[in-house]
Amino acid sequence: MQNQFLQPQIILLKEGTDTSQGRGQLLSNINACIAVADSIRTTLGPRGMDKLIVDNNGKVTISNDGATILRLLDIVHPAGKALVDISRSQDAEVGDGTTSVTLFAAELLKEVKLFVEEGLPPQVIIKGFRRASQLAINYIKEIAVSVERKNESEFRDLLEKCAATAMSSKLIHSHKDFFKKMVVDAVLHLDQESLNEKLIGVKKVPGGGMQDSLFINGVAFKKTFSYAGFEQQPKSFKYPKILCLNVELELKAEKDNAEVRVEQVSVSKEYQAIVDAEWKIIYDKLEKISNSGAKVVLSKLPIGDLATQFFADRDIFCAGRVGADDLGRVIKAVGGVIQTSVKDISHDHLGVCDSFEEKQIGGERFNIFEGCPKAKTCTLVLRGGAEQFIAEVERSLHDAIMIVRRAIKNKSVVAGGGATEMEISKYLRDYSRTVEGKQQMVIASFAKSLEVIPRQLCDNSGFDAIDVLNKLRQKHAQGCKWFGVDMESESIADNFEKFVWEPALVKTNMISSASEAACLILSVDETVKNAQSQPPDAGMPGRGKTILYGIY
Amino acid sequence: MSAVYAQDEYGRPIIIVREGQKKQRVSGIEAHKSHILAARAVANIVKTSLGPRGLDKILISPDGEITVTNDGATILTQMEVQHQIAKLLVQLSKSQDDEIGDGTTGVVVMAGALLEEADAMLDRGIHPIAIADGYERACNVAVAHLESIADTVPFDKNNTDMLMRTAKTSLGSKIVSKCHDKFAKMAVDAVLSVADLERKDVDFELIKVDGKMGGSLVDSVLVKGVVVDKDFSHPQMPKELKNCKIAILTCPFEPPKPKTKHQLDITSVEEYKNLQQYEKDKFNEMVKQVKDSGANLVICQWGFDDEANHLLMQNQLPAVRWVGGPEIELIAIATNGRIVPRFAELTPEKLGFAGTVKEVAFGTTKDRMLVIEECANSRAVTVFVRGGNKMIIDEAKRSLHDAICVVRNLVRDNRIVYGGGAAEITCSLAIEKAADQVSSIEQYAMRGFASALDAIPLALAENSGLSPIETLADVKSRHATENNPWLGIDCNLKGSNDMRKQFVFDPLLSKRSQFLLATQLVKMILKIDDVIMPGEIEG
Ligand SMILES: Nc1ncnc2c1ncn2[C@@H]1O[C@H](COP(=O)(O)OP(=O)(O)OP(=O)(O)O)[C@@H](O)[C@H]1O
Ligand SMILES: Nc1ncnc2c1ncn2[C@@H]1O[C@H](COP(=O)(O)OP(=O)(O)OP(=O)(O)O)[C@@H](O)[C@H]1O
Ligand SMILES: [Mg+2]
Ligand SMILES: [Mg+2]
Repeated sequence: MQNQFLQPQIILLKEGTDTSQGRGQLLSNINACIAVADSIRTTLGPRGMDKLIVDNNGKVTISNDGATILRLLDIVHPAGKALVDISRSQDAEVGDGTTSVTLFAAELLKEVKLFVEEGLPPQVIIKGFRRASQLAINYIKEIAVSVERKNESEFRDLLEKCAATAMSSKLIHSHKDFFKKMVVDAVLHLDQESLNEKLIGVKKVPGGGMQDSLFINGVAFKKTFSYAGFEQQPKSFKYPKILCLNVELELKAEKDNAEVRVEQVSVSKEYQAIVDAEWKIIYDKLEKISNSGAKVVLSKLPIGDLATQFFADRDIFCAGRVGADDLGRVIKAVGGVIQTSVKDISHDHLGVCDSFEEKQIGGERFNIFEGCPKAKTCTLVLRGGAEQFIAEVERSLHDAIMIVRRAIKNKSVVAGGGATEMEISKYLRDYSRTVEGKQQMVIASFAKSLEVIPRQLCDNSGFDAIDVLNKLRQKHAQGCKWFGVDMESESIADNFEKFVWEPALVKTNMISSASEAACLILSVDETVKNAQSQPPDAGMPGRGKTILYGIY
Repeated sequence: MSAVYAQDEYGRPIIIVREGQKKQRVSGIEAHKSHILAARAVANIVKTSLGPRGLDKILISPDGEITVTNDGATILTQMEVQHQIAKLLVQLSKSQDDEIGDGTTGVVVMAGALLEEADAMLDRGIHPIAIADGYERACNVAVAHLESIADTVPFDKNNTDMLMRTAKTSLGSKIVSKCHDKFAKMAVDAVLSVADLERKDVDFELIKVDGKMGGSLVDSVLVKGVVVDKDFSHPQMPKELKNCKIAILTCPFEPPKPKTKHQLDITSVEEYKNLQQYEKDKFNEMVKQVKDSGANLVICQWGFDDEANHLLMQNQLPAVRWVGGPEIELIAIATNGRIVPRFAELTPEKLGFAGTVKEVAFGTTKDRMLVIEECANSRAVTVFVRGGNKMIIDEAKRSLHDAICVVRNLVRDNRIVYGGGAAEITCSLAIEKAADQVSSIEQYAMRGFASALDAIPLALAENSGLSPIETLADVKSRHATENNPWLGIDCNLKGSNDMRKQFVFDPLLSKRSQFLLATQLVKMILKIDDVIMPGEIEG
């Protein structure tokens, strides 16, 4: 099915490597981790590339997001999986920095591989890593610049900058200015205490340019399946009352399992009675709904043609089979309670909003509720050429939204482009000189590993990494702590002044989880071997896909 | 090192096949180049069908169904493209189709050209993302320039001249070009009858395009009303009705049947008779209810048996049975009637109105259809396409769809640019100029974009049998010397390059979307350095 350029980028290895020995196993685990990191190495930074991944069902994903790529690669090697796990947890905790965390963890292992080969006990390395990581985190907290939320426009500015940095490695980077506003608008629109990002709906409509994407101040969802009569319903209201139901509105059997037996034809008039009863049930329901004063009726369950036509006659809009999450967001936004019966609908079961409209967006029709009084929600309608394209836009915006949330909560930022990493690296290197013995080597390797971020940024941009890193080391030695890789000049610059800002949390989380993962991998030798020789562990996907083993 | 695709001079199906070479992974620039190659292969396939002199393609599906088409989106979706990157181009053309409807060939040709230029730049060591950024910048220049040169076409319900001409440009490249005027007029009339000119909205649900074999393209008609592929339920009912008051029913003509499970056992002859009598009474009652409401025509979503049919006939109540849900709805909208679920609910206000309802026979076939015209609400229309065979009808429907979309786009935004490559040439020149102001490496990419735009006029010229490079050079220089942005390729050899005089118009929306979508997609492809497939892993 593939031609030669579709070769799986697979990370290889032959099984049956030396796994008998503890150390051999450990080395092979380290190699596996490096192989995993190699698969996403080129995606880092503003000049990072994307991967196109086809899964077993033929679904295509194009992504730059470390966590997404690793998830789709379906790595089963237990050690490699540890890296997948940290990228995922970084994604959940922070939302961004998932590539960095993987690269850094692998680099830590690579740096100490020599020590392991030489027989340095892993415990010594682990101890050193833990110490270095603690120091690094404290140091980041010390140097991070915090911004108080006094001046709203200044604060907004900060948020936009963090959003822009998070987007700069993504497909949407040339539309940063457009999307950063959208993202910050969306997050600021939420309740500032809870900042529940689930209340930001994202809808994808293929077609159009990405700059045709919309920000909707309220809830929006796609037109649901409709029955004949729907087109005769009104499609826009001002201040409508909204009723949300979990009730099926269809002509149905009176009782689901009831059975009637009609003995005599003369009584077949009974038929009429039964039929009338059936009709009465549905009409009673519809009558109650219409009397409640609701102008927009939504239901999770189907609304049949009879009901559709009934509503059309009374100038009521209805939509059946509304998705649970969409209905949930509507309820949260407009107020009211989802009704499971229409028996007694009272006034406060209904929601309201300023305006409701069915609108055409691209090739789709959308139901849009704007000006919702209850919860602060909003919807981003994303446009773009191909489906995979919009999916990637969504992921990128998700990163940015998470980052903005973090920035609002933590309010402290550092500079990106490898600046922070270089600064900690310098700090740890200086520190290591004050330590005696083996720990000195270990902490120094930790310091060196941090340089992987700026180095990879250079490599991916085609800059001379050795040259740039030398310049950076020099600058940081002189105390210019925010110097990092600069894309425009193809050299270095003060990235704080260049506004390449990131929440400090991205870095602290990256360092602590990468170092934890490295320690974990260093601490297992025998165990991994067992896991491998046993039947696949719980994480082994039944789909049997790209499988990673160690190298060599 | 090439994607293989097979294409003979008749344009028979073309499939990109894998090469059975030893598998090896490519990465970095090599990967980029191979992706570009595959994408260009796709673009080259549709290139020959661009423009008024473009050729059609015949596609044969695995089960032997034949499609003849000139429509880019159709060609690409019917082709079995395997290559993942090439598939993205198929999607590109599809999104242009969804959004705009026309221009689906042009957008792919343009993307192919952009990739070709990118290929050359990669060779010169320019970073793919720098190329992508430069393209983006150039695209912005181009879109801004398009807006500055766009002309507004005035139109209203009585003055449709400009709409006609734009529709004709779109139809120019299609099989239907023989009856150009007719199809353009049908497209314009259809859109204008349903358009809400104030809200600039055209509800496509109200335009139905139907086709039936027989006759020729010239016999196609636009019906201001609804056409249903049904006839009156009884052969003795009148074939044409005037001033119809229509009962639109979703209930069957049959005795009530509960939804509740039921069972009826007939045990004696008498009971059987009773039952029959009962049914008969019911029918009579129903017919009476319909008559009482004032209706003189029944349109029914369900069927009824011969007895009921006979009874309806006797009562001089013409009826149509088994009309599908969407048609029921369309009839209700067109006639301003209400869909009635029960006989008991029939009232005079719920009836729909149509001036005439008649059964029409088509060609020599026995097929008959029901045409509902002069409806209370004149907004619903049906275009009825005729043609000798299914292939022609299908292609005519697709072409008409393109033309309808073009007119719709003008209703949305009545700005146009000039076709025949004129818009591309002037944008190309504008980008060249803008590139001079850019000092970074993006300058190269912008120039690349500018020359990629030439691909459209080049393809148009080539497909028209002109010598492409000379023709383009000539037109381009005249753009500069005469400062005339309306010059394009004279595809139909009319002796003038002035597209404004030749009335070759493309909606601005369509061109803008082509530029944006092609650029977006090319950027996406340039950013991919690796394609990872599921599958076997070799040790
Ligand atoms: N404008 C810029 N100039 C220099 N470096 C930048 C710029 N914008 C972002 N970066 C750097 O790029 C890196 C982020 O790259 P990227 O977004 O590809 O990976 P990630 O955030 O680690 O993971 P992911 O986004 O996949 O979850 C960070 O080190 C960041 O500082
Ligand atoms: N009479 C004409 N003279 C010169 N150029 C023309 C003429 N009519 C159309 N064109 C040009 O031909 C091109 C359109 O060709 P065509 O309709 O084959 O492809 P498309 O619109 O891109 O795709 P499709 O119609 O398949 O969706 C446009 O660039 C248009 O300006
Ligand atoms: Mg990131
Ligand atoms: Mg066309």
